[in-house]
Amino acid sequence: MQTVLTRGPSWAPETTRHAAADTLDWAVMTAATDDLDVLFEQQALPYMDQLYGAALRMTRNRTDAQDLVQETFVKGFAAFRQFKQGTNLKAWLYRILTNTFINTYRKKQREPFQGTLEDLEDWQLGGAVSRTAASSTRSAEAEALDHLPDGAVKDALQEVPEDFRLAVYLADVEGFSYQEIADMMNTPIGTVMSRLHRGRRLLRARLSDYARDRGYLSAAPGVHDSGSIA
Amino acid sequence: MSDCGCQKAREDLEEYLHHELCKEDAADIREHLQSCPDCAREHRVGVALTDTVRRACRDEAAPEELRAQVLTAIRTFQASHTL
Repeated sequence: MQTVLTRGPSWAPETTRHAAADTLDWAVMTAATDDLDVLFEQQALPYMDQLYGAALRMTRNRTDAQDLVQETFVKGFAAFRQFKQGTNLKAWLYRILTNTFINTYRKKQREPFQGTLEDLEDWQLGGAVSRTAASSTRSAEAEALDHLPDGAVKDALQEVPEDFRLAVYLADVEGFSYQEIADMMNTPIGTVMSRLHRGRRLLRARLSDYARDRGYLSAAPGVHDSGSIA
Repeated sequence: MSDCGCQKAREDLEEYLHHELCKEDAADIREHLQSCPDCAREHRVGVALTDTVRRACRDEAAPEELRAQVLTAIRTFQASHTL
């Protein structure tokens, strides 16, 4: 019983392959292609909501996001034969999404100073969180972040320059590894780290400002840290 | 400040947060965070930032018509490539 069970899985496809070999010709080929098509729809389409969410943060508008997702799926479908079953399909789809975005949509809506941003020093980017912020302010900051409304967070993310925003989204929302993000963005890992660091820094500063303005984070007398640098 | 491990910890916090450090380095940070309230608070802000962004961006539902559009686009591609 035990042996039959363990041999089962490896034995089963064997017969299928033999049977298929007997009835050669394109009918079999078509069947295999059909299977792959079905497989794609079963495996890839469930990522539509997630991909759309990412596309929205990338393109910042719904029409482009829909087009981007559609293009991603068509490209994925066309290349699905090259996808190695058992490897990370989500990362594979996100690579297509990110590549398509960078190569197509970004050209359309390119931000004028994108290229030079990378070369700026941290302090030149502005909005830096004060290193000397009192620790009492900082624990309040974590608390305030927890209570910020989703809309405000998304708005703040939209304002983060594109490459930084993508890195933050892929790492923090989707949980991809630095290496996976490097593959998606076609950059060295060091660049991913620096984009992520800067993106998070900008986002944190914007959210803290928002929290202070709206009273989520009270500027306690004497620890109003924005005064120390800005 | 620099010889109590804070400087190194601050540099590595983000990688620690994203689980990118090797086991040994991660253990060093974990140990440091236990003994340094200031770095621990900084780490909490980092974690809160990740949680906040993730929470705000999750549950984005694709519009109804997108599913149909995608299926149509795939079928169209399929039809043009099986002839």
